[in-house]
Amino acid sequence: MHSGMAPSPDIQPAISSKEQDAAHFQESPFVVRHLGREIIARIVPPLLAAVSVLAIWLLLYLIFPRLLPGPVSTFAEALRLLEDGTFFFHMLQSLRRVFVGATIAMFFSVAVGIYMGTVLVGERFFQPLVVVGLTIPGLMWALIAVMLFGINEIAPYFAVAVTIFPMLVINIWAGVKALDKELIDMSHVFHFTPWMKVSQVIIPQLVPNIFAATRYGLGLAWKVVVVVEMFGTSNGVGYQVMKAYQVFNMEGVIAWTLTFVAAMIVIEYGIINYVERRLTAWRPKIDVWRR
Amino acid sequence: MANLVVKDAEKWFRREDGQPVKILNRLSFEAREGCVTVLVGPSGCGKSTLLNSIVGLERLDRGELLFVKNGAQRERPLIGYVFQSPRLLPWKTVGDNIRLALKGAAVDRREWERRVERYLEMVGLGEYANQYPLYLSGGQRQRVGLARALAIESDLVLMDEPFASVDELTARQLRQTTRHLCEELHRTVLFVTHNLPEAAYMSDFVVTLTRRPASLQEYVANPLGSPRQWGPEIYNFAADLENKVTLKEETLL
Repeated sequence: MHSGMAPSPDIQPAISSKEQDAAHFQESPFVVRHLGREIIARIVPPLLAAVSVLAIWLLLYLIFPRLLPGPVSTFAEALRLLEDGTFFFHMLQSLRRVFVGATIAMFFSVAVGIYMGTVLVGERFFQPLVVVGLTIPGLMWALIAVMLFGINEIAPYFAVAVTIFPMLVINIWAGVKALDKELIDMSHVFHFTPWMKVSQVIIPQLVPNIFAATRYGLGLAWKVVVVVEMFGTSNGVGYQVMKAYQVFNMEGVIAWTLTFVAAMIVIEYGIINYVERRLTAWRPKIDVWRR
Repeated sequence: MANLVVKDAEKWFRREDGQPVKILNRLSFEAREGCVTVLVGPSGCGKSTLLNSIVGLERLDRGELLFVKNGAQRERPLIGYVFQSPRLLPWKTVGDNIRLALKGAAVDRREWERRVERYLEMVGLGEYANQYPLYLSGGQRQRVGLARALAIESDLVLMDEPFASVDELTARQLRQTTRHLCEELHRTVLFVTHNLPEAAYMSDFVVTLTRRPASLQEYVANPLGSPRQWGPEIYNFAADLENKVTLKEETLL
């Protein structure tokens, strides 16, 4: 039979040629090699970073054994905190405080940022307040919060919200200033309601600013909440670190710090990165340094 | 019967140095119901300003815009708009971009899917409803913009140099699709261009404008029948138009 002849109608391929192509592509050595390279490129650099920190720590421990606890005993302490559930209880308390404070700050900063970016009077009113707010250290707010509200849950909520609010506003305000006017005009032409304009046109354009602000804001919020917990609450990671410090339990301080950092990494990579990827799935990947 | 009457429209802008510049000067014409009226004029003469005024993005300083239906004047109705760039929301799928326009136009939700399917089929993108705009070519995105403007089923559709940013071959396909849809759907279309063969192909009537400040130069009925074919007669009519207008790119301020 001539190779160019059309197949007989009763001989149907099991799967379509498109599916076959896709299957061959998935199995091709190129794809396997590419995936392998990508996995190595993702895992090796952060692993190397962690190993170098551990190596420096071990070296310092070997030089100053009485000053610094060893990595092994510290990890054992961290493991104990995880096993007996102490870590989870106190971490949850800190998480709740950061979450509530950050949510309050986010809510107000989106509203104020959009107002500042769209109404000149709003910009003139809030700009000096935001600039002043940026200059006040989080530690001051932590002290003021405890002095104002005493030892209760309002103090950390207030301190977190007030510390990160100006920084969130600045980012959102900058984002609103850079909004695409053509899309706003389009929304007007097609009779979008004010809520449709905000939710479908404005906020999606602010997503990169909101994520940048959230990352930076959460970093600040953790620091503030730990400080408030040190002298204004009877639970939370900050309270536990303070307790360990008062009995000069260096292993405890470092173990709490390490577990805290691990939780932050899980939140950053497991939640924030994931949500950001989902929200920006519409954007094709850009390879700037393509070779 | 007219669907839109522009009467003695005047518009001024203020330059950066504070000097006022007149854009539109007592411009009057009408867009007839079910016809494609093409506005032709030199770049920067105020065509887009006029469209923006019609759609409510800007306000005329003097003159009137009369919207008419069945012989009676009415408030500014819902107006479809095909922009020079597609202006799609990149974070929404093609289908959702059209659905949002339908929502803005207060179309019954039960009607949405039928319209999305119908108008995407019409512009040849029936399989693209779930794609994001940034994964489409420039011509495909412009087709989505066209589908969105038509899907709201407004009496009046404005098109502001909609094919200026795509290559000539794609532009020809898009012109053909658009002209065909205008004939089939019997919409009143006001189409802006500075491309004379495009004006000759797309139009039932051509309004030629003077240089800035723009005023009416000629109102010409297109002698070519429908359906249109892209051929020598288009270029002949374009040459006729060229004799009637001055399309010189000059510093106009």
